[in-house]
Formats: sequence, C-alpha cells, structure tokens
Amino acid sequence: MTQEKVSLNLPRRWDSYKRKSQLRIKKIAQIIQAFRRQPRGVIGASIIAVIFVCALFSPWIAPFDPNEQDIANRFAGSSPQHLLGTDYVGRDILSRLIYGARVAAVVSIGSVGIAVLVGVPLGAVAALNGGAVDYIVILIFDVIRSFPSVIMILVLAAIVGPSLLNIILILAFTSFPAYGRVARAQTLWVKEEEYIMGAKSLGAPTGRILLSHIIPNILSPIIVLAGMDLAVMIMWESALSFLGLGVPPPTASWGIMLKQGYTYIETAPLMIIWPGIVLITTMLGFSLFAEALRIALNPRERDPDE
Amino acid sequence: MLNYFIKRVLAAIPTLLCVLLFLFSLIYLLPGDPASVMLGPRATPAMVEALNKSLGLDQPVYVRLGHYIWAILHGDLGESVWSGRSVSSLIMSALPYTIVLTLSSMGLAAFLGIILGVLAAINGKTIVDHLVTVLSLIAVSVPDFVAACLLLLIFAVRFRFFPVIGGGKEGNIVDQIHHLILPVIALSLGWLGYIARLVRDTTLEVLDMDYIKVIRSFGAPNRYIAYKYALKNAIIPVVATIGLGVGKLLGGAVFVELIFNRPGIGKVITDAVFARDLPVVQGGVLVAALLFILANLAADLSYAYFDPRIRYE
Repeated sequence: MTQEKVSLNLPRRWDSYKRKSQLRIKKIAQIIQAFRRQPRGVIGASIIAVIFVCALFSPWIAPFDPNEQDIANRFAGSSPQHLLGTDYVGRDILSRLIYGARVAAVVSIGSVGIAVLVGVPLGAVAALNGGAVDYIVILIFDVIRSFPSVIMILVLAAIVGPSLLNIILILAFTSFPAYGRVARAQTLWVKEEEYIMGAKSLGAPTGRILLSHIIPNILSPIIVLAGMDLAVMIMWESALSFLGLGVPPPTASWGIMLKQGYTYIETAPLMIIWPGIVLITTMLGFSLFAEALRIALNPRERDPDE
Repeated sequence: MLNYFIKRVLAAIPTLLCVLLFLFSLIYLLPGDPASVMLGPRATPAMVEALNKSLGLDQPVYVRLGHYIWAILHGDLGESVWSGRSVSSLIMSALPYTIVLTLSSMGLAAFLGIILGVLAAINGKTIVDHLVTVLSLIAVSVPDFVAACLLLLIFAVRFRFFPVIGGGKEGNIVDQIHHLILPVIALSLGWLGYIARLVRDTTLEVLDMDYIKVIRSFGAPNRYIAYKYALKNAIIPVVATIGLGVGKLLGGAVFVELIFNRPGIGKVITDAVFARDLPVVQGGVLVAALLFILANLAADLSYAYFDPRIRYE
C-alpha cells in the first residue's frame, strides 16, 4: 500500500519542482531583459567589464611595462607613443592605469569575498542560536561599526603595515559586520519558514540546515550588497595607497598615482587628472550598474507602462 | 519618548566599553615592544625604560586598564610622546576646524539636496527629474579625496581663485571662509547626491498618499503641496541621514583635511599614526568614535521623534 502511495506522489512532486524551476528561469530572464532595456545598466556593465578585462589581461593590453622608466621623457604630454603622457620618472601613465586595475580587482574581490565568507555564517549562526551567542555576535558587529570606518582602517593599516594582503584583510575586517547584520536579519525571517521546520523534524543537524537550507535562501540581498561593496573597496584601496598605507610602490595603483600627481600638482596636471578620471569612471560604472539592477529587481519599477 | 531615549542611551554603553577595550589593547597589537617601536631604532635602553615608566607599561595589565579608564573618565587622555602636550588640548585645538567643516558641508549638502530632490519629484519623469537623477549618481560616484585633488588642481593651482592649502589665519573670518570653500565642496558632493536622491524617492512616495490626494482635490498647486505638506513627511529619513553623515564626517574628513593641509581631528590622528604617537592615536580615535556614537544616537532619537511608530517597536 505504502509503495503505491510513494510511486504516485513522486512524479507529481517532480512536476512541481520542474514547474518551479521553470518559473525561476523565466523570472531571471525577465530581470535580465529589464536590465538590458536600461541604457545606464548597459553603460555601467561595460565600464565594469573593461576594468576586469584590463585587470586580467594587463600584460597584453598595456603598451609599456608599467615600471619602465624613461627619464629623458618625463612629464611628457599626450603623444601617439604615450597616449596619456608620462609621469615624474617617465613611466607610461596609460600602462600604469591598466596595471592599476589589477590591484583594484584583487583587493575588491578578495576583501568582499572574505567579508562574505566570515560575516554570513556568523550572522546566520547568531540568528539560529539566539540568546547569548546572538548577543555577543551583535556586540562584536556594533563595536566594529561604532568606529568611523576611515579611522578604523587607518589605525589598523598603520598597525599591520602596508602590503596587498594586509589591505585585503583590513577591508574585510571592517566590512564583514555589514554582511553579518543582513544575514542575521534574513535568517530570522527564513528560520520560521515551514521547510526549515520540516528539515528539523526529519532530524537534520544544525550544520546541514544552515548550509543547505538557510544560506541559499538568504543569499540574494547579500549578492546585491557585495556588488555595491566592490566599488567601495576599490575606493578604499586607492585612498589607503594615497596615504602611503596601501600597496607599497612601485606597484601601479590608482591611489599611488593620484598621490604622485598630488606631489607634482604644480608641474604635471596630467598625472593627477588621469587617475582621478579613472577612479570616478569606475565608481560611476558601479553606481549605474547597481541602479539598473535595483530597478530590474523591483517588479514595481520594472514595467515602464505601470 | 523618554523610555525610548533611556533604552537607546543604555544600549550605547556596552559598545562604548568595548571601544575603550579595543583602544586599550591597541598597544599590544603593535608589533614589537611598544616603547621601542615608538622611539624608533636609535633609542637607548634607558629611553625605552623611561617611556615604559611614563606610559605605565611596567605595571600589570589590569592595573593599567583601571588607570586608563579612570583617567578617561576624568577627561585625561594622556600626553603626546613627542611634543609632551596633553592630548586633550591637541584635540581641542583641532576639533573646532573639523566641526565647522563638517557642519557646513552637511548643511550645504542638505540644503541643495532637499531643493533638488523636491524639484525632481514634482517634475517626475521630465527632463528636470532625469537631470537630477543623473547628476546625483555622478556626485555620489566621486570619492571625496579625488574631488579634493581635482578641485585643488582646477580652482587653486590653475586659476588661483582659492588659496591652495591651510585653514586660514586665526581670527580672520573672511580668510578662514575663503579657505573653507573648496574643502566643503569636496566633502559635500557625495552627500549632496545621496540626499537629493533620497528626497526625490521619499517625496514621490509621499505624494502618492491619500492625504496629498485630498489636498490636491481642493485645488492646491503642486509646488505648494510639495513644500508645505509632502516635504514634512519626506524629510524624516533625510534627518536621520544628516545625523549619520555628521557622525561619519567628524572622523572621516581625514583625506580632505590632509589634501588641503587643514588642521582638524582627522589630521591629528593621521599625523600621530605616522609618528607612532600612541597616546594621541588612542585619544583621537576615542573622541572620533564618541562623536560618531553620539551622532548616531542623535539620528536615531530624531527619527523616533519625527516618526512615533519607531518608539513602540
């Protein structure tokens, strides 16, 4: 008798899964379509794509070695040979900007990645456990967030000294509470759902509930947050390098180039203008992308005829 | 309201204690022996020992923690290792510059942001709206230190409209305002974009509400409705944002202060960080964090004051 019941139910359940996944694919396709309808989204996505392509393929794209000095040709203006001119020791500014994308990409992806990997499980565990664990985790988050982030980052950078890995760790340290908070709030919401109760009543261990039921369901706001944070991290890397607390020279970084431009602001304006423009364009690209994504994800704003 | 006030103030206390603990442990986080790190490689053992003694580093941890908190409660933040000046007087002489800079930047951002935001909302989906939206996106995307560098280049170095660096002569208000303009523009740009955007979105939302429809049905003109009725409700999130912004800028004007070489708390902290002047770093960060917490508290309270629903959550 029971055998028959199971064989009757399984296909129906399978159908509902199939139906659900079809719906989900349709929804994603709708979102992509809504995104592509907006020119700003396309512009933003292209800017971001250019940056990551530059970061990945910098040796092939850059016309010069970023550290190749040509003292005779220092402070040169734009020319067919050096499209954006040269800096105070005659290095090609365009090549240095292209290599700078590498540092920006590594720092932003690295720090956001670590922040997500630490913050999300912490927030989810806090929400699942409640009680003392929850209180302590929130306290940790609050303390880290109660420092103005600029000063926190500065002091930590001064303590551990400048290096690529250190910046990544510092930025991850100051930003993981944001992910933790979102994950915690989402988990509080999700944990009352029936499927979690179902998994619990079947005797699933907490770790399994966390990994295969809760985390996949709280991920989408975290992905949006992470996407916006990439830009913030790029900005921080430049800011720290600007102060001399970031990537050590002679590595090509937009912040270092801006700093050197600041030093020679009276003699060589090009040295400060180009990295400034690149930084602003990068930020703008991410803002445009986020804006278009927000509209595409919001069904009320998605449909222009509404 | 009083209950809510007490609850929020009490909730800030554990955070504050943890901040103190963090600042206290800063000295152990520095690699190597703190005194020799601060004095540099050429310090003699006698100098190191003298500094250890004056910082109280020769005593056990719990005694030092006690002393540290006791001193702070009495407003004593210690002395600078280098100049011997008391940290509180160093901070007090820099703080007014930062406060003036912060308040004028936030004031400018809020003033223009609200006007532009409402303008965009009442002209919804027209060229004005699009213009404001695009401009605010651009403004948000310019990091303050980049804005500061470019403003410095264009208006101070190229055209010499404004002085290049410094905070202006003491007592000469016109000169000080002259020195203030570029830093204020650099700092307010991002917040201006953010606030304009926020005001536009919330005003649009409020304009859709029933009470506005009633007023409109009486034949009141659009602009009148927007400024007299809609703005009052639309402004609540803006007030909270301004509070947060003030808190952030009080410690976060570091880059603008450095680029324009203005005195200020951010500059005090960075200079101390580079000089490894630990007491000044600790004191400066403590004051910045305290101001930040206070500004957040004020933002929360103002939110609760304007929106009674929050109080009863």
